[in-house]
Amino acid sequence: MADAAATLIKLQDVTVRFDGRDVLHDVNLSFPAGRSTVIMGPSGSGKSTLLKTVAGLIPPDSGKVFFRGRDMLQLTESGMKELRKASGFIFQDGALWENKTLMENLALPLRVHFPQMPPAEVQRRVVKALEQTGLLESADLRPAGLSGGEKKIASVLRALITEPAILFMDEPTLSIDHTMEGRVTQMIADVKARGCAILAVTHNARLTSTLADRLVILDAGTVRETGDFDQVKRSRDERTREILSEVLGEIASYDTDLLALLEEQDKNRPHQATEGGQRPGPGTTERTP
Amino acid sequence: MVEALGRWAGRKARDYSYALGFFFLVLRETALFVRRRQVAFRVLVQQILFTGVEALNIVSLVALSIGAVIIVEGGTILPRFGQTSLMYSILIVVITRELGPILTAFIIIARSGTAIATELGNMVVSHEVEAYVSIGISPISYLVVPRVLGVTISMMALTIYFNFFGLFGSYLVSQLIKPVPVLEYFRALLQALQPRDLISTLVKSFVFGVIASVVATFQGFKVGSSVTEIPRAAIKAVGQGFVLCFLADALITLISYV
Repeated sequence: MADAAATLIKLQDVTVRFDGRDVLHDVNLSFPAGRSTVIMGPSGSGKSTLLKTVAGLIPPDSGKVFFRGRDMLQLTESGMKELRKASGFIFQDGALWENKTLMENLALPLRVHFPQMPPAEVQRRVVKALEQTGLLESADLRPAGLSGGEKKIASVLRALITEPAILFMDEPTLSIDHTMEGRVTQMIADVKARGCAILAVTHNARLTSTLADRLVILDAGTVRETGDFDQVKRSRDERTREILSEVLGEIASYDTDLLALLEEQDKNRPHQATEGGQRPGPGTTERTP
Repeated sequence: MVEALGRWAGRKARDYSYALGFFFLVLRETALFVRRRQVAFRVLVQQILFTGVEALNIVSLVALSIGAVIIVEGGTILPRFGQTSLMYSILIVVITRELGPILTAFIIIARSGTAIATELGNMVVSHEVEAYVSIGISPISYLVVPRVLGVTISMMALTIYFNFFGLFGSYLVSQLIKPVPVLEYFRALLQALQPRDLISTLVKSFVFGVIASVVATFQGFKVGSSVTEIPRAAIKAVGQGFVLCFLADALITLISYV
């Protein structure tokens, strides 16, 4: 019972097929509440599909996904609303609604999840979020009028505006410049410090070392390895190390050692981890060889 | 050969059952539309504006032309058989029962059907639909139902408008051939108008509205992950919409005479 409470989302023998091909095969994973997990793997390994399956956006062809101990496919309308209210999703390409202004993009989740909230309060919250990120002047623009980085920040704001307990992120720093990347990483670090559980797919070493309590290594639709960040990054498994080096492109370009790079970046972690209080102690490794 | 045929039949059966499931889901969500108090009323109003109001010009033009053509053809042929008095019945039957609903359907399918399929297809490709799902909005109730209602309401209103303008156009042209006082002309038309003509035009416009909108939304949602699928979805929305409207037209006409 305590286990079910600590486990936010659990995948049991999950298989997802597209056009007759297994994109995910027999995946078993648990995502604990309040901790951050980064999913890594080569391109085409099924990371985005796994993230969307965990978020309940893609139903599995076989197996089960449990949210707080309840089968997602069996959730009632109110159970599904609870899941959606508790979660936010940052899409790889932003996925802002093109026919709505930035203000409307951010207001809609609030109007859906808090129907009793007065319109003035909705407006106040959206304006506050836009002010904090310097996007207030673009409030009446549609996404087509925003830069790539602004779109990304807007999509992060949209996912966070309802203050979710779980944040799903699909490559949140992809295709944005270094400054914007820094701002997005800081926003995500703040969310983590607040105790939000984060599930992220990313190739970004800086974001990974800022964020990850746990790593999931995915290879050709199957889980190669999973466990605490510190354990997995020291994995002796050749394929895991190969994947980590492939995924974190910096390794090749800086011609340095994977462990050295991650540990160098990891030096910045203690203050962030302390803020969030989410860093697990040693001996909590759950390994799936 | 047999194996390929079996696979094809299996695929078709899956496609049809998926389409049927989509249709019933749309019906259910339409019935629940008012109760759900979702933020989709604005989408409905926008759809009526686009499909109904913005199509008024083209519908007026087509209706006037059709009315004119019928009066010219009828005014030339009927007197040869001494059947000039049938002109009013022919106008009513051809315009209100047949051409009004089907031509309005063609105009709406060509304008709104393609627009809906393209818009939804784009939304699927850019993951906007998934973004709606991620915040707990059902794409069927938020994106499909307002479009189905908007197109159906617009189709019914535009068909009535088409009928009126078609009959009005025939009057304008009749003034050039053989002037008739306006009151006498429209009184004769009203005498020729039967309740079943009205029922037929309303039933057809309703059915065509449902067909045009459901086919367009279905094709829009069938788009996968590539933008190259979007034009194909638009073409299918038009093609299937036309074919299904023709079939429904024939069926309703048949039933109305049985």
